[in-house]
Amino acid sequence: MTRIGIYVCHCGLNIAGVVDVEKVAEYAKGLPDVVVTKHYTYMCSDPGQRMIQEDIKAQKLDRIVIATCSPRMHEETFRRAVAEAGLNPYLTEIVNLREQVSWPHTDEPEKATEKAKALVRMGVARARLLEPLEKRKVTVEKSVLVVGGGIAGIQASLDLADAGFKVYLVEKAPSIGGRMAQLDKTFPTLDCSACILTPKMVDVAKHQNITLLTNAEVTGVKGFVGNYEVSILKKPRYLDVVRCVGCEVCTKVCPVKVPDKFNENLSEKRAISIYSPQAVPKIATIDPDYCLRLKYNKGVCGKCQDACEAKAINFEQQPETIQAKVGGIVLAVGSEVFDASKMAELGYGRFKNVISNIEFERISDASGPTGGKILTPKDGKPPRTIVFIQCVGSRDKRFHEYCCRVGCMATLKQAILAREKISENVKIYVCFIDLRAFGKGYDEFYTRARDMDIDFIAGLPSEIHSAPDGSLYFDVYDKGTNKLLEMHADLVVLGTGLVPNSDLGNISALFHASRSADGFLLEAHPKLRPLETAMAGIFLAGACQGPKDIPDTVAQASGAAAKAIDLLSSGEIELEPLKAVVDKDLCSGCRICESTCPFIAIEMKSEIVNGNETFRAEVIEAMCQGCGLCSSACPTGAITIQQYSNKQVLTQVEAALTEACAEGGK
Amino acid sequence: MSLVDLMTMAKPNLESREKILAKLRGRELVNCFQCIKCTSGCTALKLLELKPHEIIKLVNLGFVDELPSSDIIWTCVTCLKCVQRCPQKASPYHVIMALRNLAVEREAKVPEGYLKAVSQILETGLAETAQKVVTGEMETVDRVCLKLPKIISPKEGFQAVFMKTMEEK
Repeated sequence: MTRIGIYVCHCGLNIAGVVDVEKVAEYAKGLPDVVVTKHYTYMCSDPGQRMIQEDIKAQKLDRIVIATCSPRMHEETFRRAVAEAGLNPYLTEIVNLREQVSWPHTDEPEKATEKAKALVRMGVARARLLEPLEKRKVTVEKSVLVVGGGIAGIQASLDLADAGFKVYLVEKAPSIGGRMAQLDKTFPTLDCSACILTPKMVDVAKHQNITLLTNAEVTGVKGFVGNYEVSILKKPRYLDVVRCVGCEVCTKVCPVKVPDKFNENLSEKRAISIYSPQAVPKIATIDPDYCLRLKYNKGVCGKCQDACEAKAINFEQQPETIQAKVGGIVLAVGSEVFDASKMAELGYGRFKNVISNIEFERISDASGPTGGKILTPKDGKPPRTIVFIQCVGSRDKRFHEYCCRVGCMATLKQAILAREKISENVKIYVCFIDLRAFGKGYDEFYTRARDMDIDFIAGLPSEIHSAPDGSLYFDVYDKGTNKLLEMHADLVVLGTGLVPNSDLGNISALFHASRSADGFLLEAHPKLRPLETAMAGIFLAGACQGPKDIPDTVAQASGAAAKAIDLLSSGEIELEPLKAVVDKDLCSGCRICESTCPFIAIEMKSEIVNGNETFRAEVIEAMCQGCGLCSSACPTGAITIQQYSNKQVLTQVEAALTEACAEGGK
Repeated sequence: MSLVDLMTMAKPNLESREKILAKLRGRELVNCFQCIKCTSGCTALKLLELKPHEIIKLVNLGFVDELPSSDIIWTCVTCLKCVQRCPQKASPYHVIMALRNLAVEREAKVPEGYLKAVSQILETGLAETAQKVVTGEMETVDRVCLKLPKIISPKEGFQAVFMKTMEEK
């Protein structure tokens, strides 16, 4: 005999402000097998939970239906409460009266109440068919893969390694450091970026718990939370990493000039080179796309080989694949800077003295192409007028609708650096729409910029022209003065925003990490689970989740590391019991489920039936995430997902339709 | 009404505002965040003081009563730069066209110069009949000197096409 308890939550006025909760509770009383019906202001509160627990004991309830907010919010809370009262937690059914009723139907309270009744009716119908389930326990690897060696990956790796976890840090470039290594100073304190980053990079290389894999990419991910198997491809550097001492003799004899990516192609390096002055590891790499020996002919050049005293050069080196078992994964793959040449009207790419903000960083950096002197790229002279133009590629429906979150502060910093470096003779203007200085100490930084005679023009130019003598000019209408101004500039710096990595599509597919509409990786919940992906055991850190400045990136990286530690520290984890179950008699061995399963959780096992070999699907319990794809794909209905069997779902559908039909007949 | 323009004591007219919005394909103009790119690049601004960003803001706030009878809306030269460059796809050009249509509906006065241009198009099929051009060095030369083709009126019958189009609209 089933005994059901129904609890309707007001959620303050979130639900009760629209839905007549008393009517819903009254209605629920008449549903079959319902013994207790109550409504309460906050069901999730301590007294609310206690009310349910007391009823379970006193009234011997064996099914609980809670009509409240989304199960994503509090299903776990209520399951825990139910379990504490001695009932199997999976005998709880959540009916969503907030996200599915009161919030979307604020204008129609009466219809909303009717919908709430129908949902409760459906919930009760399903609750009667619920079955008790037990959580599964699996042991986990106490090691973590961190993808990306920028400041996010570095911080996450150090936190994890300090907590005693083994870390595999994989970086695509020949050195770790990422975007932050390219920056000159950092806002709002004007710390030298290299001075605060380089020690951390060295710590990573020295840490005994960190395996640093640079010039490498993750090529395969298998398994499930706590037990991922990853393949990492180490691209050849064409030299022996143990022998190379980073003396740079080879880079002086190499005859092939190559654009220097680290300097945003503003200068040249050689086909054999060390990635950056602070590179970690500080060893050379040969670019096979440019090296004469590797690209054309085995007999030619080889000058670096002759010059290297350590005998480190090895043109025969092959790519190598490493397998690793990890419990969790932190994705910290960062972002790219918007390519301003897409915005043709600003002349980036056509006019040499129109540069992006990341190029300005390299020009301003002491280790950059100009040795830290701010000089125009076209003529190598100090500019007398610099104009910064904001929101390039961001807040623009033609390109990226979001705010890049760093452009305003980066521009303020660069304007201040320009003022400090070129003295008072330079005129500095910033053309902007809104100036966003929202972080700690940020608005004070904006004030500092104004104190330093940096002028702000409220309005963006429509297009930039080049005069016959090569100087730049444009018109801009200023909101403050209501005047159309003609501006002449020696250097125009574009406030280019951050955009998703061009290979983020591959990364998203490889790790089953979804992306949001803006193209960045999607967090499991925008407010309550910002550090996780929807895939258990895969975490997010830094600008791959959305544009971020350094303080936010570091905070998120430490958070993601803490989340991974929290998950793996006990050595075993509990998995949701909801999994696929195969009815062997119905399975025809068509293998459709095997091909649809994203978690490789289905295996075909051979069986001898009446002397013939047949194949039947079998679920690898530890790998199954209960997503339900196999169940909906199975042509014979042989696979069901526990708690979501056809019968359970169809009964709900029937309950949804029965009363609606009856009313229609009235 | 919650807004008053203290210079003219005008109040927003939300009904007329809706009429203008109804003439547009979308309501994107409400997304305008006043970046002023349209005005910065407006071909008509230097000579004629057309400020597209002000027109958008006036429509958004509902100060629309003066606009259809104003000469300003007829100064747009339809170069479409604002349409191409607006980051919010708010398109001042389409708003100006909507205001022109509203002005004609209300039988407001259309500036002489504009009417002249229209009647020239109706007569000759051409917006521009000049056979001479001004070069970048401000010299007036014959089109032939610059190896440009002569401007020739379209074939007969174009007026019928114009009339048909106007009737359809």
